[in-house]
Amino acid sequence: MGRESGVIGLSRRRVLAVAAGCASLTLAAPSVASASADEDAVELIEDLTGKTPTPSDRVRLVMPAVFSNGYTVPLSFEVDSPMTQTDHAKYVRVLAPRNPIIEVATFHFTPERGQARASTRIRLAEPQFVLALAEMNDGALLLAKTWVDVATNGCK
Amino acid sequence: MVAPAPRVQVPATAARGEVFSVKALIAHPMETGLRQDDHGDAIPRKIINRFVCRYSGVVVFSVDLHESVAANPFFEFHLRATDSGSLEFIWEEDGGGVFRLEHQLEVG
Repeated sequence: MGRESGVIGLSRRRVLAVAAGCASLTLAAPSVASASADEDAVELIEDLTGKTPTPSDRVRLVMPAVFSNGYTVPLSFEVDSPMTQTDHAKYVRVLAPRNPIIEVATFHFTPERGQARASTRIRLAEPQFVLALAEMNDGALLLAKTWVDVATNGCK
Repeated sequence: MVAPAPRVQVPATAARGEVFSVKALIAHPMETGLRQDDHGDAIPRKIINRFVCRYSGVVVFSVDLHESVAANPFFEFHLRATDSGSLEFIWEEDGGGVFRLEHQLEVG
């Protein structure tokens, strides 16, 4: 009886250990994936522009995490900027790196009369990180990305 | 082909300094050039490649569009009302087609 409970105790401990291991793995996995996705995104922008962008919270790219129809996926973005002559976003360039043609659209803004935000609808060929790259008037390149899972290929 | 029909939604009046929303839509297939017809021949690319909004003659917002913008391209953007004047919307298509709309904005 005492032996049995000992066995049970051991297996419980094992179960707990395995469970803890799984939990730490699942917790760690998204941040690792996100870090390498950040590097991939930065590398892509370096290849395209020859400049190094900074991942930034000042650019917010809002898209549905899951969307059934790849032909018309809603996209909104906003750059945190006062839009004055001395401090404004010049443009926001949207890229879909896993589409057959990765350029989606570039939005050009004007200080004073404009606001650095817009919405549109885009096509996505497969699940991927969509990127929004903002160039500020001081030349800084700010980068945001968001994962979108589409069920159908919108580029066929 | 039916001529692309552009539409915009803009307020008729705005207070000075107010930020207002503009919605602009054009009915257009945005043919990517990546598709084939029944005979296996590539369908040539024909997209709206540029959208421009002028406020009292000055470009205040523009978009360079590529193939990945959805058919019937739609944009919502925001402008600050500075003075009464015309808002002009221009869509440019591959091959030189141009579609325009104009709207008067009263700023009080």
